[in-house]
Amino acid sequence: MPRELMQSSPAQGRFSLDPRSKLLLLLTGSTILIAGSPQGIMTYIRPVFVLLPLALLFLSGRSRVAGRFALIYLAALLAEQVLLPLVSGLGGFLLVAVLGILTRFIPSLALGYYMVSTTTVSEFIAAMERMRIPRQVVIPFAVMFRFFPTVLEESRAIGDAMRMRGIGGIRLLKNPLTMLEYRLVPMMMTTVKIGEELSASALTRGLGNPVARTNICRLRFGVVDALLSAMAVAAFACFLTTV
Amino acid sequence: MIELKNVSFTYARGDGENGLQGINLKVERGEVVLLCGTSGCGKTTLTRLINGLIPHYYEGMLEGEVTINGQAVSQLPLYELAKMVGSVFQNPRSQFFNVDTTSELAFGCENQGLPREVIEARLHTTVSDFKLHSLMNRSLFHLSGGEKQKIACASVTACHPEKFVLDEPSSNLDTAAIEDLRRFMEQWKALGKTIIIAEHRLAFLRNLVDRAVYLKNGSIVREFTARQFRALSADELETMGMRPLCLKELKAAQPAGADQRLTEAQESTPLAEENHHLCLSRFEFAYHSSEPVLRMENLTIPKTGVTAIIGDNGAGKSTFARCLCGLEKRCSGLVTMGGIHWGGRERLKRCYMVMQDVNHQLFAESVMEEVLLSMQRQKTKEATKITKATETPEAKAEIILKSLNLLHLKERHPMSLSGGQKQRVAIAGAVASHKDILIFDEPTSGLDLVHMKEVAAVLAQLRRMGKTILIISHDLELILKSCTHVVCLEKGRVTDSYPLNGVGVNKLKAFFGSGTVSSEPVEIEAVVARAVGH
Amino acid sequence: MNRKLEVKDLITIGVYTAIYFVVFFMCGMLGYIPVFMLLIPFICPFVAGIPFMLYLTKVDRFGMVTITGLICGIMMFLTGMSWPPIFTGIGFGLLADFILKSGRYQSAGKTVLAYTVFSIWLMGAMLPLYFMRDSYFAAMIPTYGQEYVDILMAYTPAWSFYALTVTAALGGLFGALLGKSVLKKHFIRAGLV
Repeated sequence: MPRELMQSSPAQGRFSLDPRSKLLLLLTGSTILIAGSPQGIMTYIRPVFVLLPLALLFLSGRSRVAGRFALIYLAALLAEQVLLPLVSGLGGFLLVAVLGILTRFIPSLALGYYMVSTTTVSEFIAAMERMRIPRQVVIPFAVMFRFFPTVLEESRAIGDAMRMRGIGGIRLLKNPLTMLEYRLVPMMMTTVKIGEELSASALTRGLGNPVARTNICRLRFGVVDALLSAMAVAAFACFLTTV
Repeated sequence: MIELKNVSFTYARGDGENGLQGINLKVERGEVVLLCGTSGCGKTTLTRLINGLIPHYYEGMLEGEVTINGQAVSQLPLYELAKMVGSVFQNPRSQFFNVDTTSELAFGCENQGLPREVIEARLHTTVSDFKLHSLMNRSLFHLSGGEKQKIACASVTACHPEKFVLDEPSSNLDTAAIEDLRRFMEQWKALGKTIIIAEHRLAFLRNLVDRAVYLKNGSIVREFTARQFRALSADELETMGMRPLCLKELKAAQPAGADQRLTEAQESTPLAEENHHLCLSRFEFAYHSSEPVLRMENLTIPKTGVTAIIGDNGAGKSTFARCLCGLEKRCSGLVTMGGIHWGGRERLKRCYMVMQDVNHQLFAESVMEEVLLSMQRQKTKEATKITKATETPEAKAEIILKSLNLLHLKERHPMSLSGGQKQRVAIAGAVASHKDILIFDEPTSGLDLVHMKEVAAVLAQLRRMGKTILIISHDLELILKSCTHVVCLEKGRVTDSYPLNGVGVNKLKAFFGSGTVSSEPVEIEAVVARAVGH
Repeated sequence: MNRKLEVKDLITIGVYTAIYFVVFFMCGMLGYIPVFMLLIPFICPFVAGIPFMLYLTKVDRFGMVTITGLICGIMMFLTGMSWPPIFTGIGFGLLADFILKSGRYQSAGKTVLAYTVFSIWLMGAMLPLYFMRDSYFAAMIPTYGQEYVDILMAYTPAWSFYALTVTAALGGLFGALLGKSVLKKHFIRAGLV
């Protein structure tokens, strides 16, 4: 996952939204899809938010992922319709419960996937700063995004070292706690050390200056952003009437 | 002007760095001052006093006063100091804050809250001054160490500080990247900036420094003018525990070792015919379905030799090492040792790589356990083999530890050891699991002379044990000291492979000399170094 | 002890939250294997206890765990798990901060308790499944009939939410103990804590 968790450098996308409108869509979408009732006016709004993430993914050149999400969703929906009248007993109902969770979560997960895979870290940080989120939150956030790839790099190197030592494989199953220790302890040690050096470096470059920070990353709130945001707000209002 | 008056410092907790006593130093505007000395001499601590990390980040006991342009460093917050002093550190991986290069360049300026137009203009100049166009808008995680260090230098440059403080910036760099670093420094010097650099690789600084300060055990022992500094002979530097100023003067190994090495090298010159060596043929590797990044038609690596793998960044040295160890599955070709083919899985059992960051490969809670961990695997494999009482795993482990001078540390936690000791623990693990082929990835990066010699000694010992050794290195001195053969890579192909005899040494020097060093005039000024300090 | 959070602390929060979240998320991936699905509330806090207990040795100021909770919540939100985790993250983070403060950031017992409590934040991800439960089921009645929905509701009772919460807390407790033992075995011996 974390490889997809926010890009470092911008993709060559034709279609892109402002991170702020993405956040608004995600807020509305996940609320309606996961917690919203499927009745009343929501009967019409829900499908819009099921299709929206697929459309957005498709437009930003991720049609394969969009297809995959669509396939799982349709399969779950179909299974629900077909199996529901047939099954009985505990096992059957558990299956139904799982399918219920799937149909509610998948479009929301697709929207989340769109959010994190099409936004660069710089854009996201810029959006947070522009929304006047206090730096007590923005700085840890920025550091966290910078460290996701580091944690993975370290883990990969440790995995290699374990293979060369012949640690793993069968013994993993025999002794999962020890394996966990081998996996995590060196990774934590090296990552924390990098963190300390990063602190020193960031401080010498003036992070912590109380003046208002500039952010050179440009965000563009365009017509499409305005339209989608308006739609999200309207949908959220409708949702509130049904609660 | 930077002034240190009678400064002493002791760290609150040992960070592997040593403190300083009674430091007096004045650095005028526009001066380029080198801080040199063996590791642990306090040169890093001195840089921290100037960029304010002491006392603002590292805690400890500080006496005396450090002032920059008359202002006391201890009274200025770090973000104010940041406007005056720009810092570049040793580890390229740990000093970037952003994930993409463009944001990273702007980072310092953004923190100062400069207007966007100003920042954009500064970025534009910096990028064109240092020809960084190809590095812009990229993920920092996809850059090489040298490229990252370039971005670090450029990012500091964009802040327009008056003074630059560099703490062993070349430690992890290859020849080409060091040349880039030198160009940055040249440009800063031309702009009249003050530069203070702590280094133990001296060759690239030869014509840059105005003054050199030699530290020992936390005190300034000697100072050299530029002239005196350039005139230091290799022997004088060696007694001070420092790397040479001029790589041309380097001789090949010590006499005793050289004899053995050369005879051996001559013996094994017709390598191709001997099949008990490690032979690779049509050894290839490609990511997915793209062009192979590694393609070796035929390569023979002497079984009892020490082979250096050299080449520029991106020549495929690391990929080659990973493939040879069996870490890459999509690697094809024939690898034979003594006529027997070794597949990827077999190589994983036979080969061992001592990684550049050795912290990745230490797992156990004590040095002893670390070695036993390697033996356990052996035991399960040969469970039926009955061992005598004297051959308990512990006894065997102790023998190995003793041979690597680690026995007194057997109860310690590996992570509490020094870098060199950790490296030897990793080697002990490899020896314990009966690995035949040991590959070292930059074993001396960032090491001073003393520690480099230690590594060379360990390599010699492993060789006596009959191990086949490969070393990926940019360290000419180490190669001359320890290696018997050289394999040169370029774009994933073997461009040359030769024994390190008289002709070989010249070839090798030519390879390393093609960068920085030979382009400098090799005038030997007949000025004898004279102490001016204490 | 009550100093404001400095940049140094904010970077510490970021580094440890990254490690914690990656470990947490990786364990969450196990949920795609159906057998493990119900064990997620236990496994995630259990394994993530190792990095978190190391983190708690560095926490000496009020608010650090709260920020970690908030960030984890936002990450859950960003990956499509809706927004309740943001609030549970803040809430249980605050509780953990209060517990740590009451132990002056020194008490070993209090750090175990703090992590146990903090671990409950992940229930925020389950919350939406429960709080719109009635309307969800009501919508099914016309299609599937009252009887069927009654049985379905009986199999997913409200108390299962509390059972999952307890599971998460237990995961936290055992994770904290595991983390403590790893700390002792490695980090203290290596002199890094």
